[in-house]
Amino acid sequence: MNKPYWYRIAYVAVAAIVILTGILVSNAYYLQLLTFIGINTLLALGLNMLMGYAGQISLGHAAFYGIGAYTTAILTVHYAISPWLALPAAILIAMAIAYIVGVPTLKLSGYYLGMGTLGFGMIIHILFREWSSITGGASGFIGIPPLEFGPVSFASGRNYFYLVWGFVLLSLIICRRIIDSRVGRGLRSIHDGEKTARAVGVDTSQLKLQVFVLSAAFSALAGFLYAHLVYFISPGTFDFITSIRIVTMVVIGGMASIWGALLGASLLTLLPEWLHSFSEFEMVVYGLILMSVMIFLPQGLTRGLMDIYERSKKSQNR
Amino acid sequence: MNDQKKARTDNQPLLEMDAVSKSFGGVHAVRGVSFWLEQGTITGLIGPNGAGKTTLFNLITGVFRANSGRMIYDGKTTHDARINELVRRGISRTFQNVELFESMTVLENILVGQYTQTRCGIWGSIFRFPWMVREEHLARQNAMALLEFVGLEAYAEQKSGDLPFGWQRLLELARALAARPKLLLLDEPAAGLNIVETAQLGELIKKIREQNVTILLVEHDMSLTMTVSDKIIVLDQGVKIAEGLPREVQANEAVIKAYLGTTG
Ligand SMILES: Nc1ncnc2c1ncn2[C@@H]1O[C@H](COP(=O)(O)OP(=O)(O)OP(=O)(O)O)[C@@H](O)[C@H]1O
Ligand SMILES: [Mg+2]
Repeated sequence: MNKPYWYRIAYVAVAAIVILTGILVSNAYYLQLLTFIGINTLLALGLNMLMGYAGQISLGHAAFYGIGAYTTAILTVHYAISPWLALPAAILIAMAIAYIVGVPTLKLSGYYLGMGTLGFGMIIHILFREWSSITGGASGFIGIPPLEFGPVSFASGRNYFYLVWGFVLLSLIICRRIIDSRVGRGLRSIHDGEKTARAVGVDTSQLKLQVFVLSAAFSALAGFLYAHLVYFISPGTFDFITSIRIVTMVVIGGMASIWGALLGASLLTLLPEWLHSFSEFEMVVYGLILMSVMIFLPQGLTRGLMDIYERSKKSQNR
Repeated sequence: MNDQKKARTDNQPLLEMDAVSKSFGGVHAVRGVSFWLEQGTITGLIGPNGAGKTTLFNLITGVFRANSGRMIYDGKTTHDARINELVRRGISRTFQNVELFESMTVLENILVGQYTQTRCGIWGSIFRFPWMVREEHLARQNAMALLEFVGLEAYAEQKSGDLPFGWQRLLELARALAARPKLLLLDEPAAGLNIVETAQLGELIKKIREQNVTILLVEHDMSLTMTVSDKIIVLDQGVKIAEGLPREVQANEAVIKAYLGTTG
């Protein structure tokens, strides 16, 4: 019954699974796949705060992902700044841009907010592609250095896996704490009824802006980790399709659920890998699977699976 | 609290409305309405459907801006004040159609009601500074006390949307009280309640007044309005047509006409 107690157990369980996985899995390909799941989880986690809890949609989150990646690329390569200084810089720049973009766009709602963030995402994508003197243009940005911390090098797959999942665990705890606080209750009240929330005294515009900025920070962190994992970035990674994929992770995993972000990110990262064998039918099967999840588990995987579990428990008791 | 009760005799109005008007396109929902509410009193606001009662609530709480007229609350104008600013200054309300945060628990609804009374921000929630932990603890204690006041303490952890309708109304009342109002606006709080529930509500309203909260009550249930109100204001088609003690208003011809639908 005691919620914080269960959370702590869940964190310890995740940490244990991460450590064990790192020890048991030695195949480089699998380790990299798991690392990508971690990066995508960070993306989904940030957007879930905005969509699942505050009920605001963003179709442009790949922009913040890209801003994180390009900021660290430019700072570390062009200016030879340490990645560990580039990280806070990347996050702060993404947050500042989110703030500037958020003030006018979050006044919009529903479809219009979707359109506004979509337009923003496209502008940033074009900027990555066309501002070639700085970003390397359409052919991409090469030579991003690997991460190292004192004697520890993160160039190895295993260490990078631990690094990413360390950030994921930290982010899970941060999100959980926010959701269970006054701020989180304010966010959820917006989701349930924005007008009512305002009427009882919740400063809805300020809260929406704050959570938008927060989700941009998570995306920028993901972008930073992505850039130093693959050493090479190009605009294509941060386009409209990626924004949609992040939204899909949130919806498939389950809105307003922190574990949903984890589940959604895992599924959407693994699916394309499994589906390679379908070759040209890959996208068709991919689409079909997503459609069936939405048809049969409209609340997303987390809620859906929990409902199935509870139903089976009830029928056993009978 | 007892001293406050005595102090309410030297009355200065808590709310003063001065020729306030509001129209929507061609519909004049509120026309030149003036009245004042004395501290610690209950005022009944009655009138036929569409008279402009809810619109008046929305003007007082800052949801709508008046087209003309002045409103003075607690000695200061409310002109251009944001809704949450007015809540912080002590104006709190319930809704004609119950509007709870349905996916949240009963307790959480009250905690949201305390939003303007608490301060914890994003950093505070992440780092859990000691004073934030203390604030949260106090907020929960207050919320439980309010639930006890309306008799819902046993359902604190239930989803508010799952409560029976009558209890939802009580919860909404408790949520409004969570903002520590000086002025409480109740929009048809007895609508949909049975006789027993309505009587309980009447008792609660009287108890709330004893804490020196000023109440403006919109209610079609005349047995409730006439028994708890110190004063009645009657609105018809946006115009104030009568004001006075309950029995005066009941005998007023214009009021009887308005209710029989022979106006205009
Ligand atoms: N947001 C709005 N936009 C347009 N017209 C409105 C709006 N709100 C109220 N009105 C109109 O203003 C008039 C007064 O409505 P209001 O809801 O204030 O009446 P009321 O006295 O609360 O009635 P009831 O007893 O039915 O609740 C009505 O003619 C209504 O149609
Ligand atoms: Mg009304």
